[in-house]
Amino acid sequence: MGEEILRMEEIDKSFPGVHALDHVHFNLNRGEVHALMGENGAGKSTLMKVLTGIYKKDSGKIIYEGKEVEFHTTREAQDAGIVIVHQELNMVGDLTVAQNIFIGREFTNGIKIDDKKMIDESKKLFDRLHIEINPTEKMSSLTVGKQQMCEIAKAISHNCKVIIFDEPSAALTEKEIQDLFTIIRDLRAQNLGIIYISHRMDEIKVITDRVTVMRDGTYVGTLITKDSTKDDIVKMMVGRVIYEPPKEKSMVAPGAPVVLKVEHLNAGKMVKNVSFELHKGEILGFSGLMGAGRTETARAIFGADPKQSGDIYINGKKADIKTPEDAVRHGIGYLSEDRKRYGIVVQKSITENSTMACLEEYMNGIFINKGKEKKAAEKYIEELATKTPSADQLVVNLSGGNQQKVVIAKWLVKNCDILIFDEPTRGIDVGAKNEIYKLMNQLASQGKSIIMISSEMQEILRMSDRIVIMCEGQKTGEVKIEEATQELIMDKATRNIN
Amino acid sequence: MEKFKNNVFVKKVGFNRVVLAGVLILMYVIFCVAIKGFAGSAHLMGTLNYVYFLGFLSLAVTFVIATGGIDFSIGPVMFCCALIAGYCFGTYKVPMAVALIICILVGLLFGMFNGYLVAYWSVPPFIVSMASMNIAKGVASLFTKTQSVSWPRVEEAGGWFRNLATANGFPVGLIIFLAVAVICAMLLNNTKVGRYILCLGSNREAVRLSGVNTKKWEMLAYVICGILVGIAAIFFVATYTTVQPNYGDQYNNEAIAGCVMGGTSMAGGLASISGTVIGVIIISLLQEGILATGMTKDIQLIITGVIVIVAVYADVVARRRKN
Repeated sequence: MGEEILRMEEIDKSFPGVHALDHVHFNLNRGEVHALMGENGAGKSTLMKVLTGIYKKDSGKIIYEGKEVEFHTTREAQDAGIVIVHQELNMVGDLTVAQNIFIGREFTNGIKIDDKKMIDESKKLFDRLHIEINPTEKMSSLTVGKQQMCEIAKAISHNCKVIIFDEPSAALTEKEIQDLFTIIRDLRAQNLGIIYISHRMDEIKVITDRVTVMRDGTYVGTLITKDSTKDDIVKMMVGRVIYEPPKEKSMVAPGAPVVLKVEHLNAGKMVKNVSFELHKGEILGFSGLMGAGRTETARAIFGADPKQSGDIYINGKKADIKTPEDAVRHGIGYLSEDRKRYGIVVQKSITENSTMACLEEYMNGIFINKGKEKKAAEKYIEELATKTPSADQLVVNLSGGNQQKVVIAKWLVKNCDILIFDEPTRGIDVGAKNEIYKLMNQLASQGKSIIMISSEMQEILRMSDRIVIMCEGQKTGEVKIEEATQELIMDKATRNIN
Repeated sequence: MEKFKNNVFVKKVGFNRVVLAGVLILMYVIFCVAIKGFAGSAHLMGTLNYVYFLGFLSLAVTFVIATGGIDFSIGPVMFCCALIAGYCFGTYKVPMAVALIICILVGLLFGMFNGYLVAYWSVPPFIVSMASMNIAKGVASLFTKTQSVSWPRVEEAGGWFRNLATANGFPVGLIIFLAVAVICAMLLNNTKVGRYILCLGSNREAVRLSGVNTKKWEMLAYVICGILVGIAAIFFVATYTTVQPNYGDQYNNEAIAGCVMGGTSMAGGLASISGTVIGVIIISLLQEGILATGMTKDIQLIITGVIVIVAVYADVVARRRKN
């Protein structure tokens, strides 16, 4: 481990309604892999965004290579040698690998782009990483793992000194993760500083030298990985929050009726012949890697995307669902994984969002009964403990967890019996996360049926009565909670990939 | 400043609109002082005559912009309405009342056409409205055989309709315009159509995934726009006598300027009818002022162009600051 390359001191950042970073510390040495850990909403990504110039910090200092710096754009950070490999890959599918790596800084021959040089340079980069990818191949034809390698190649082509990996393993198979680790070890040997963000405890133990833990936007502490146990880290991450106890057995009454039955559903490339049943009062977990087709399945059931074939039965009756309008009419509510894009209208008030799915019940002739509407919104603000000064507050001013509660309120106002929760706790803070868990359990005990898509293994094991596992668009398994283990689920989730 | 912003009245009306009204009054005072003979009823009536038709155009486009769309066909469609209805009156001798209904029907048809293509075929509004601008011009020319059309004077047969704008010197048009504006405001803020238009302008996918038939409501915004354009045509011919084919583009910019200046966001989702009303009066006053100084129409085109850019840029800056 070499000398210090980066130090962040007393970093503070607030958004409307959230204190995202509260005087956070972080330091990184050359030739070190340093894990940044914490639950969703702990502030890891925000801290990295402050570092790379996506967000402007409110106060605090960033010292990089001995000098105080402040980057205003990711470009500035890149030029200084700090690059980030995102969880979601930023690649242009129709361009070749080489074109993607050198996008925005193409080599030129006069006014002509010098493709040959870009290909040669790409080859050199891949050699340095000891990986084999053909630089002339189209990006879209590579696997997610290979695409990520390209991102890494792009990162080191900037002649960087610090690489940030933001949950790099979320979409990778076991084999690809091993390849990734080999590369990371290589980069460490080349004296780069590496920040590794992940939820996966096992990986942290294997690959990192030190661990910094964050919770609720605060700095908790830094440990040396080899001197600490998994339990030490978990304790630091979870802190005061007491989660809903994990489910030991299914809470669904035996013989509970099937409310939703999906048979041989096919939709696009990502949903192949999926069949399952959902019982009344059940929380059915959907587990799998990123890109396993879970969201696509949900969207096809909900009518958000077209389906090629397959039947959906609701309470035993065949339902013809072609649009979200049809689905809502059949009592299905869908809570999207991407809240801001698909869940809420951020520039509108809580009230307007809450009654979005059933405005017709709040009409007085042709006019909206705004008083009645507001009462309904206020009822759910109270019931879900949404933190807001009033129901007239614009949703954009709420924190992630409270925004999520507004989306939930929308479906509760509509009184949906079947709820699809797609990554319900993504990007919300720990306290709110537990409230959402409680709420889901409560809804299930009231007889609502929930499909919960989650990429967090702990969440799946904590909440589900039964678990469906998907891989590459197919259902690869279905286990009862009594028999479910992390290993069993992972095994099924990577079954089709080798 | 903060105190002023937090004043109960200012809060209720909206800070932007109070400022805008201030600008309007200031402009009028400046014109009265700087331009000899501007004060008095003649120029006031001149301004109002412009407000009538431009006001309806601006209200019309407010609904479309609220969805995040745009309509560059309003000016030419207004002329198309006026030409077809005027030709029917002059050549086919339909009664004046029927001619006025034809005006609105033609506007309605164009609104349905634009709305259907935008909402159901997902053709970008920019392209749709550019195309229907040409279609409107072509249809009108074809219908009138490239002749200009004259609407009757007040003393001629059928000339009663001019009383809709001004009756014995009384500005009836202003009252009708304000009444329609109030209806528009209620439509936008208190009905389903308005709610969905504003919400889908802000985040279409979220509204669709709430089980709302967004296509239907989006198309309806264009239909409302079309009807208002038809009404605008009536007030245009009630003020001016002769309508020429192949004309009307310039009013697009002026109507959009009035709307955007009033605080309606080009990005969609935010719209203010009262803002549009004040904005349109400012634009009309400006054009009257420019004419009164003896400057040419070209100057007015330049100023309107600049206003559109400044107003849209102000909106962009405001949104960037919010994020």
